[in-house]
Parts: sequence; C-alpha cells; structure tokens
Amino acid sequence: MNIIVLLKQVPDTETQIKIAPDGKSIVTDDIKWIMNPYDEFGVEEALRIKEKFGGEVTVVGLGPKRVTESIRTALAMGADKGILITDDALEGSDSLAVAKAITAAVKDLDYDLIFTGQRGIDDDMGVVGASVAELLGIPNISLGIKVEISEDQKTVTVNRPVEGQTLVIESSLPALITAQKGLNEPRYASLPGIMKAKRKPLEEKSLADLGLDASEFGTEARKVKILELTPPPERAAGKIIEGETPQEKAAELARLLHEEAKVL
Amino acid sequence: MAEKFVSERNLKFLLYEVFDVEGLTRYSYYQDHGREIFDMILDTALRMGKDLLHGTFQEMDRNPPQYVEGRVKVHPLVRTLMRECGEGGWIGANAPYELGGQQLPIMISAASRFIFFAANYSASVYPLLTSGAAHLIESFGTEEMKALYIPKMFSGQWQGTMALTEPQAGSSLSDITTKAVPTQEGYYKIRGQKIFISAGDHDGADNIIHLMLAKIEGAPHGVKGISLFVVPRLRPEPDGTLVPNDVQVAGIYHKLGYRGAPITQLSLGENDDCRGYLVGEPHKGLSYMFQMMNEARIDVGMGAAAIASAAYYAALEYARERPQGRRLRSKDPSLPQVPIIEHPDVKRMLLFQRAVVDGSLALLLQCAKYADLEKVQEGEEKERHGLLLDLLTPVAKTYPSEMGLLSVSQGLQCLGGYGYCDEFPLEQHYRDARIHPIHEGTTGIQGLDLLGRKVVIKGGKAFKLYLEEVRGAVARAEATRGLDAGAGLLEGALQRLEEVTAHLLELAPGDPELFLADATLYLELFGVVTVAWQWLLQALRASEALEADPSGGDRDFYEGKLRTYQYFFSYELPKIEGLCRRLLQSDGLTVNLEDRHFTD
Ligand SMILES: Cc1cc2nc3c(=O)[nH]c(=O)nc-3n(C[C@H](O)[C@H](O)[C@H](O)COP(=O)(O)OP(=O)(O)OC[C@H]3O[C@@H](n4cnc5c(N)ncnc54)[C@H](O)[C@@H]3O)c2cc1C
Repeated sequence: MNIIVLLKQVPDTETQIKIAPDGKSIVTDDIKWIMNPYDEFGVEEALRIKEKFGGEVTVVGLGPKRVTESIRTALAMGADKGILITDDALEGSDSLAVAKAITAAVKDLDYDLIFTGQRGIDDDMGVVGASVAELLGIPNISLGIKVEISEDQKTVTVNRPVEGQTLVIESSLPALITAQKGLNEPRYASLPGIMKAKRKPLEEKSLADLGLDASEFGTEARKVKILELTPPPERAAGKIIEGETPQEKAAELARLLHEEAKVL
Repeated sequence: MAEKFVSERNLKFLLYEVFDVEGLTRYSYYQDHGREIFDMILDTALRMGKDLLHGTFQEMDRNPPQYVEGRVKVHPLVRTLMRECGEGGWIGANAPYELGGQQLPIMISAASRFIFFAANYSASVYPLLTSGAAHLIESFGTEEMKALYIPKMFSGQWQGTMALTEPQAGSSLSDITTKAVPTQEGYYKIRGQKIFISAGDHDGADNIIHLMLAKIEGAPHGVKGISLFVVPRLRPEPDGTLVPNDVQVAGIYHKLGYRGAPITQLSLGENDDCRGYLVGEPHKGLSYMFQMMNEARIDVGMGAAAIASAAYYAALEYARERPQGRRLRSKDPSLPQVPIIEHPDVKRMLLFQRAVVDGSLALLLQCAKYADLEKVQEGEEKERHGLLLDLLTPVAKTYPSEMGLLSVSQGLQCLGGYGYCDEFPLEQHYRDARIHPIHEGTTGIQGLDLLGRKVVIKGGKAFKLYLEEVRGAVARAEATRGLDAGAGLLEGALQRLEEVTAHLLELAPGDPELFLADATLYLELFGVVTVAWQWLLQALRASEALEADPSGGDRDFYEGKLRTYQYFFSYELPKIEGLCRRLLQSDGLTVNLEDRHFTD
C-alpha cells in the first residue's frame, strides 16, 4: 500500500491571531506554526495502514520553507518521504490553486490512497481534499472516522458521521479520504524517529518543476477574494438566572430565551 | 486551569542564544545532532507535556496512590507515560547508541525535563528515576546486568528506584544497617528496611528495580563500608521467568504534596530470600550512588524551577484578568477597576517570580552544559567542567528549591484568597514545591557539601575556576553599553564572596563546627551571587539582540529580559549584604547555644 498524505501548516490554536494593517491578512511574525491537526490524523492513519500492509508513506506539503518542519515531524512519526511544493508565486493562492499544484505533484506518483485533513483549522475552507480528488479523477470520501482496508487491498471501507448516525461507505482504490477528529490518536514522534527523519528524502518542487504556469497562482489569480477580516465580536458577560425553585428558574430562562435572546 | 506552564521562547533563548547548545555538535559524540532535531524534540516534549501530562495534574493530586493488599496502585496515566517515554526513547535518551540510547545532549534532556516537570511533576518522576537507575547500571554494572536490565528499563516496562534512606539513616547515610550476606552462588542475601523510596512499588510498571545501598557483613564502619546492589522486586531467572524476590511493601506515606507519586516503606528479606546483585566493587557503593544523586540533585533543582514556572504563568494569567482597585494616580472612583497587573506591587511580585524562574533555569542549563562538556572533552578541559559542575551542584539544587518555594508563594499571593483555594492550581503548586528543599539531601546537607567539601576540593581549584567564569561575564559586561553598572555590582559581590570564603576557611582547622555553623547561609549567599551571574549572561545576550532592533514579540521579550535583570540586581543582589555581615561575625552563637535555651 503506497499512501500519500497531504499536509498543511497552520498557526497553533493557542496563538493570538492579529489582523494585519491591510485588513485582509494576519500578522505572521510571532506565530507558532504546527501541522494542521486534521492532517495529523491522516498521517497517523497512513502509518497504521503501512504497518499492517507494508508500503510507503509520502507526505506532501505546500507553502514557504518553514513547512519543512511539519513535513519532518511527519517523517519523525514514521513517514518515508516528503515533498515540499514551494514557490514565491504561490503566496496568497486560493484553495483551488493549491489543489492544482498538489495534483501536479502527486499525479504521477504510485499511490493507493491519499489522506488529508477534512479542513485546515486556519481558513476552515475544507476545499482542497475534494478538489484534489476531483482533479485526479478518484473517489473522495470525506470526514472519515474509521478506515478499513480489505484483506485483498482492493477496497476501502470508511465510516463517516452524519447527524448522529454513521454512514458506511465502500470505495475502490485509489481513493482520497479526508480525516475527521476521532479517526485515531496520533502518536508522538519518538526520539529515534526524530533522528532518522533527518536522513529521509525530502524533495522541493517549484511551480516550474511541476510544469505549471506561475500566473495561475498567487493573490492576483485568486477566484475567491478576501475583502476584509474582522475579529469575532467580544463575548458579552454571562447571566445567572435567579429564582427560588427550579420551576421558577426554568420559567425565567424560557422568558429570557423568548424575549431577550429571541431564540424561542 | 491555566494553559501555559513554561515559556518555549525563553527555553530556546537560553539553549540557543545564551548557552549555544548547537556548539556541542562539534564533538563527535553529538555530531549527529543539530538545531532541527533539538527543535523537534522540544516541540514533542511540549506536546506531551500539554496533552499527556498537564491534563492530569490536578487529578493525580486528588487521587493519590493507594496501598492495597501489599501493593501500590497508581493513576493509570503512569503506565501510559512509562510506555510513551519508553517507546519514545526518552528514558534512555542520553545513553550511547550501542545501548539503545540517542546520545542526546544533557542540555536538551534537561530542557525536556523542565517541560515535563512543569506540566505535572508527580507523573514525570517515574520515567526520570528509571533513567537515573539505568544510568547507574550502565556506568558500573557488569555486561550481564546491562543486558538483563537496561533494555526493559529504557523501554519503560520496568521502574528504577534509588533506595538509600532508612528510618535511622536519612541525611547520615553512613548509618545504614541494611545487610548483604555473600553466598556461594555469587549473589548476596539482603535484609533490612528502607523508607521513603519513591516509586518503590506500583502497578504502572511490570517490575521494580531498586538500586540499593547496603553493608556487606563485616564491612568497615562509615561510608567506606557501603556497597551498591541491584535488588529487583521480581528477579529474572535464567529461563526468563520472573519470581518474587522477597521485597515486601510495608506501606506508603501520606504526604503534603507531590501526591501523584508514592513513597514506600520496604522490608527486605523477611523470608531470607531477597537476592541482591553487587554493582561494581564492594564498599564503593556510595561513590557510585553519588553519580545518580548528583544527577538527581540537578533534577530536583529543575523540578523546583519548573513548578515555579507553572505557578508564575498561572499567576500572570490571573493578574491580567482580575480587576481590582484603581491606580493610585487616578482620583475618580467611578472609573472601572484596573487589572491587578497594573499595580506596582503586583508587578514586583511577578518580577520576583520571573527572576527566580528564569534565573534558576539558566543556572541549571549552565550545569547541564558543564555536564555535557565533561562528558565529551578530554584532559584539562574535562577536569575544569567536571569541577565546576561539582561545585555548582549544591547551588543548583538549593537556590531553585528554596527560592522556588518563595516564588510559588508570591504566585499564590497574586491570586489573593483564590490562590488559597483549590479551584486554582496555586495551592497545589505550593504543596508540591515543598519537597524540594528536603529530598536528595536537605538544604542543610547541601550547605555542608558546598562549604565543607566543594569549595576546598583540589586545594580550592573549583572555586578558583568559578571565579574565573563569573569574571569572564563581568569583563564582557564592562565593555557593553548599559551593563557596566551591573558588571561593577557583580564584581563587588564576588569580592565579598571571596572575603567571606577566606574568613570561613581560616576557621576550618581550629573548629570545624564553628566553620560550618552557618554553611546554609553561605550557600544562600553563593546562590544569589551565582544567579546574578546568570542574569548578567542573559542581559548580555538580550542587549546584543536589541542592537539589531527587533520588532514585535522579540522586542518585548528582550526588553522584558533586561527589566528582570535590573530587578535582580536592584532587589535581590543587595540582600547578600546582610548575609555577608553575619557570615563574617562567626561568634559561634548557634554552636554554643544549648538545648535548655529553647525550652520556654
Ligand atoms: C517525597 C520524598 C521522596 C523521597 N524519595 C526518596 C528516594 O527515592 N530514595 C531515598 O533513598 N530516599 C528518599 N527520600 C528520603 C529523603 O532523601 C530524606 O528524607 C532526606 O534525605 C532527609 O532525611 P531524613 O528525612 O531522615 O531527615 P534527617 O536526616 O533526620 O534530617 C532532619 C533535619 O536535620 C538536619 N540535619 C540532619 N543531619 C544534619 C547534620 N549532620 N548537620 C546539620 N543538619 C542536619 C536536616 O537538614 C533536616 O533539616 C524521600 C523523601 C521524601 C519526603
């Protein structure tokens, strides 16, 4: 089983995000960057399948040079090879352009499965996985919380949550699966793994290497344009419901929900 | 609960900018390492600290180990953590490749320990003790012993301990009475009692390997009669089976803090079937054990600094959010209350904590660097760094332990009444931190060690080297704009330290008791001067970095460093004057005082 994992580097959830003076982007100076947690589920799942069936895991990242750190982390967890798509012209690209670049980098690789996170926790678009599958012409199964490969390694069965129920989907291979929380508990990189990661191959590819035209990428080529970023509204103070008895409190709560919050 | 418990920025500042850990990769033992690897290791340690350890910090305190039918039951995290630390390679990280280690610099493992300790001190000691015990076998055990025990210990399946203390022998190890009787078969039969043995039994590991001090029958009195043994709870038979080795757990103690880890009372050889396997030569056990004890003393300092770090970040978070009172300059009572961090006295409390935490951590990493250099260098350089480490070990154990306690207390103070209540972690940090001046040699014993032994070893060579090191920083600071005043203050403090040291050493031949009566105060003095040196080193680097006109968070960081340095030199360093005055008196007040004077 050869498996590809697509990963994105995102700001750590604990980072204080500040909007840049242009009002359309964020200040990146003091950000701590991490592997997108949903992609990490993908890495873990790929490693488990590899441990069971053999084969190779290749991680593919896109972005500036710092993304190497996240690829190395995946290599330290046990992946075999890394590819970093990096090019100044990619700066500011939208999800579709990212999907195009990734597709160009993976289309000629030998793979049975592709994993990626169901979305990036930074932009929350959730577009790249499905777009890559579409561009490659392979099935896309989203929000996987359980993945099972058949013994003959020809099909995959994926559980996907829907409204409190579980949808069980079977697909032929190759396929692309986007990972949802609950799929697994990603392992920590081990010290021997970290030492080994340094010696594992990590290739860098520019748009030219991938045979792509730089003018189709970057901020100018965006189909989706960001007009403005605003911080979420400050949370207002909470309210404690007063009352002598539970009944009284419930009545007061119902009244507030109806009259003040206007949700009933 | 507060999310942040350590500053990654500060750790990296100390490792890379102040102490140049990357420089170690020049030595062949460390040549496979580099910044990228170190970053990934720290990153993993931070994640493990956050995800695995910090979440159970309070839970392990509220659900301490239980003594059930002769065994000790611990929190399920212990087994998970031992496995993660084993499989992750953390337990054997410093060991050479041949033994399954990663030849990791001690500086990096020390930094990782700081992270683990700050996240959850109780949980972190289990793998830590195992590392220390395995290292002892690695250094002094036979090949057979190494093959038998080290892999299982490095993998976290077996727990290691250090079993020294007995009811009548705590500080005074020469008084241990646990006996070892030689047999025809080569092993010894052990009989005796041990108390306070950390992780001496628990169900989070499959076996417990005690590194135990005992006296071989007929051995000379005193420390020269002590030998070191491996005493497993279950002894491995040649066919690989494990059989009970007559190590009974008589009970556990209920303690003030650090409750997630048990301390056990062990009874050995009740059925005359407890086998011990001699490590190294007979009667040399204490000197071997000092390897583990010295490492453990640095770790205790690290634990103390780490708990103070977690307490500081909890206090800081609170101080930023708690509105109370108004600025003294504002006269209008209708204005909203200000967050308490705006009050100068609260800022002073926070600065004190930061001065202790970062100053202690710097000193501990300095010691780790000396340990690394001693390990990889040869000849005179090796001796130099070994002596510096020896000299500074009691200081690096005690300053963080004693001052960390005050630091946590100030953290608790920042929360007012809430600090005293268990909704906030401060009260637990306060209880947890109290162990550090006690275990691995009390503060009193560290004082005796510093003044009675370390300052005079090799004709005072270690002390001379220390003065040289500190004066190196003084000279650099004299040539740095803005730091010349600090350089002058530290030089003045060094001269006072030399004066006091010379005065005390003159008393030594006449009356050892008078000489050492105030050794603890001498240690306190030594600690303040040493940490001032560490602050000057940090200020040197921060000044240099500010020359490059950094922006944003970097500027705030370096400016914060310089302010804390100023705080240390203005508020803490002057405190040595009282100590010096007392130490120069030597009137024998405590020597001559009698028991009857205390009664009423
Ligand atoms: C939580 C915890 C964990 C521990 N873990 C371990 C462990 O894993 N393994 C182990 O072997 N031990 C362990 N210990 C034991 C610990 O090392 C001892 O408690 C410590 O060394 C002090 O010994 P003691 O308790 O007998 O006190 P004592 O030695 O009786 O000391 C009492 C007081 O007298 C002072 N004092 C004693 N002798 C002198 C002297 N000559 N001059 C001046 N002052 C003196 C001491 O400084 C102290 O203030 C642990 C203890 C605790 C509380």
